[in-house]
Amino acid sequence: MDLPVIDTPVFPRWVWMEEITYSHIPIATLVTAFMLLAPLFEYIGYRRKDLRWERLAKSFIWFSLILFSPGAALGTGIPMFIIGTYPEFWSRWANLFYWPLIVQFGFFLAEVFFLFFFYYLTWDAWQNRKKLHITMGVIAAFFGYMVQVVWDSLGAYMLTPGNTPLPQVTEPVAWSLPAMLNPSFPFLLSHRTFGNFSYVLLLTGGVFALRYRGQKRKDPNSENTTYFRWASQTCFLIGFFAFFAQPIIGWFYARVIQREAPAAFLAIMGGHSNIYFIIKMSLILFLLVVGGTFVVKRHGSKKVMWGATAGLLVVLLVVWLHPPLMWLAGSAVLWRLVSTAVILGLIGWLWWQRGTGNPERNAWQWAMFAVGLAAFFTFAMGGFVREHSKSPDTVYGEIVKPEQTQEEADRYLVYTKWLEPRGLYPSRLDEPPPEGWRQAVQTARDEGVVELTDDEAQRIIGFLEENHP
Amino acid sequence: MILAAATNPFIQSPGGAKFSIAFLGLFHTAVASLAIGFAFIVTVLQLLGYFRRDGRYDLLARRVQLWHVCIYNIGTINAIGLVFALSGLYPQFWSQIFTHFFWTLIAEELLFFMLATTLTLHYFFWDTMWGHKRLHIFMGALLTPMFFLQFFIINGMGSYMLTPAFSEGQVSLWSGTASILGWDKLAFYNPSFLMLTLHRTAANFAYGAFFVAAVCGIMLYRSQAGKKEDWSETGGRLAFSVGFMSFLTLPIIGFFYAWVLKYHGKEAYDNLMVGQGDVVAGGIDWWWTKQLIVAAMLGTGFAFARRSARTDREFSLPMVMVYTLAGVYFMFYLGMGMQMTWLFFWGSLGAAVLAGLWVTHLLDRYEGSGRAVFVLVGILSFLTVCLGGYVREAARPRFTNASGERVAGFNRLPQYADVYYGPERPGEVDIRMVLEKPAYMDELSPQRARVPDEGMTGADLVSARCISCHTLERIHVYKHSDWDRVVGRMRAYGTRLTEDEAQKIVDYLEGGQ
Repeated sequence: MDLPVIDTPVFPRWVWMEEITYSHIPIATLVTAFMLLAPLFEYIGYRRKDLRWERLAKSFIWFSLILFSPGAALGTGIPMFIIGTYPEFWSRWANLFYWPLIVQFGFFLAEVFFLFFFYYLTWDAWQNRKKLHITMGVIAAFFGYMVQVVWDSLGAYMLTPGNTPLPQVTEPVAWSLPAMLNPSFPFLLSHRTFGNFSYVLLLTGGVFALRYRGQKRKDPNSENTTYFRWASQTCFLIGFFAFFAQPIIGWFYARVIQREAPAAFLAIMGGHSNIYFIIKMSLILFLLVVGGTFVVKRHGSKKVMWGATAGLLVVLLVVWLHPPLMWLAGSAVLWRLVSTAVILGLIGWLWWQRGTGNPERNAWQWAMFAVGLAAFFTFAMGGFVREHSKSPDTVYGEIVKPEQTQEEADRYLVYTKWLEPRGLYPSRLDEPPPEGWRQAVQTARDEGVVELTDDEAQRIIGFLEENHP
Repeated sequence: MILAAATNPFIQSPGGAKFSIAFLGLFHTAVASLAIGFAFIVTVLQLLGYFRRDGRYDLLARRVQLWHVCIYNIGTINAIGLVFALSGLYPQFWSQIFTHFFWTLIAEELLFFMLATTLTLHYFFWDTMWGHKRLHIFMGALLTPMFFLQFFIINGMGSYMLTPAFSEGQVSLWSGTASILGWDKLAFYNPSFLMLTLHRTAANFAYGAFFVAAVCGIMLYRSQAGKKEDWSETGGRLAFSVGFMSFLTLPIIGFFYAWVLKYHGKEAYDNLMVGQGDVVAGGIDWWWTKQLIVAAMLGTGFAFARRSARTDREFSLPMVMVYTLAGVYFMFYLGMGMQMTWLFFWGSLGAAVLAGLWVTHLLDRYEGSGRAVFVLVGILSFLTVCLGGYVREAARPRFTNASGERVAGFNRLPQYADVYYGPERPGEVDIRMVLEKPAYMDELSPQRARVPDEGMTGADLVSARCISCHTLERIHVYKHSDWDRVVGRMRAYGTRLTEDEAQKIVDYLEGGQ
């Protein structure tokens, strides 16, 4: 298909693509999370007759509406940009998912109707019909979440298409259930759902902490000071505990990627996306240490302490069972020893810090904000790693990006034809065999360990000799 | 592997592709046009409130801006739906239009984002900016030029679809280079661009203002309190006046718009004037229907303005001006009757007089209150916006494919190589579509892409087959020894090359030339 590809100025088109996407996704996820949380918090306020929850829920919706229009406008730009710069991908992908895209549009429209006309505009007018109002919020949240469900399905397909190939431009499939229910869809959806809750609440807690700090300086006893103190700590606590679902879901997600998209998996675990994965893990460690310390200082009850301990033990279990992480220390035993020491040390640290110091100090408000930012960047980095790992493919194993270089194509070959069949991780590439790569590849071919054509062998040798001499 | 069976080469949609696009397109146009009108009327109301120091204008402006925020998002999402639907239902058309207008669409997106942000800040920080009223009004006033720029871009594309005339894209197609990527100045500034832009600008201002008047009318019907009733009447009269003044320009601009179509979209012009093609649907000529509604709106406006002038109501025109304008439009329609058919003149006059009589009756019935007239004109303006958009799209000739078979819809073949031409556009330069054939056209090698490949050198093949998708810089990315593999892979991805052609390209690129 000779679809002309439009080049972009200054940066390659994939950089622009990331820029546009990352300007939309944080807004969209914030709005979705706020929409899901607002009726829940409003309901809690209604049941407990506590107006603070009502105020918190209303502020979530107010902020969602501010973000909604710019976010939707940016969202419109994404398909526009893709159609021009990745036309073949878009034509084939839209061929496979035409009806889901149209249905998603319907959900989006319904979300706006309910959010604007039946939830926001009726907030004060329906004070005496609270149950009806909350129901409207739930309906708006449902449609908002369904938009996310569709996009997660379509996004997951790009990494794990499973057994459903990407149709050609001239094959208008219109929709495919197996493609929508692709292998990684449930894990991406649940990972992003809990990720959204966690990062949005941690970030909101951090922002409210700064508001609390500002109000405290103006008037320590004002109603606003009390409210922002409560709101920041409540959001932060819920966000912190919501985070513990992530390692468990992430473990399953990683296993699915390992099975369905092995080259992407290798890219994350020691390959070309590895550095971003390490940054993400470092941010998580920061979040657990600083966030955890604040939580146990502020809420030192046994319930919270055992909750945090259980959460960290689950993280430890995941780390132990996580075969991909063997790359880090080069040995499973060493890796497990180091990770056990770190996590047990963290648990000990939290118990030691329990109820100590003064969590109302100004520095802690800044620390909460820093944790909120770390949570946001963890979330953003997660999405970036997912997309980056399948490069140079746009849909894994189905279509490559037009700007693919020879080096990227050869690297992909090394992952799929050299490392994966031998069960090796990319860290092994930094240990060149004494006999040289040429001989090693030849030996492996002779022994039948790998199946390579002459051309593939030549490309793998060329890549290894050039990049891992 | 389970895939839905594809029994038809195109995605099928309930009611047909044309219906789906028409529905989404008209839905979007109706909402987007309203948004533009709202932006304008909000600024008018805010300015009046500020200079008259009357908070009621500001209150109405705020209420209109709230409707604006709500419907803006509906319009935005509708635009997303339209993009998806066009991608699936008219893939070739959509891809082609992007090769012409990618950068204009990206600029439009940027404006879209700026608009959304400004609108949101303007409404949600109304109270916060109370102490900076002039800045707040300025921020609101920015919306109108931003909207204008945005639909300036969309009009470039929309008018191109009706009067493509002579675009760079066609030149490149004729010369076989197909090198227009992202921006086609000649296509954008096509013959009907100016007229469409002027027409839509005035129409959107009128539509938005009439809609506000209609809402004021509904509030008058529902209102119980006397004070509020007074204010809704005043607000409605102001909105009606703004709308009517904008509306008065439309028949004149429309005349020149039709004049452009006569020379640059002859078949579309004929379809409109004689009632052919999709302009007639369900046995009804929708262009004529629209014209009758327009005449009825003129009659409504003049009758209302006359009564306002007689009773000296707020925002009324001087009586002499009402009669002068009515006389001018009578002469104008008389001229149109001479130009077209007398049926047009008598039909329009009849609709205007009947509407004027009905408006007089409604004003009498409600003791001078314009409530019914406001609602009536809101409904009529909505109909004209929808019908205007519809007849513009429906006036385009249906296309036929290369074999002469009639094809429902615009460009439904998936391959660029199989671009087909309508009867008015054969595969050569069509002099009827342009005013003058540029001299440089004769210097271009004719239909180079269609020359049999046997005679092409490696350089020719790279130019014809590789550069259409990749830039020349890509050549420096690879080593000389890579080219055999690279070309092999491109063939595997679907590039149509014979063995001989592939070898020529490899030899040429390996030679480092």
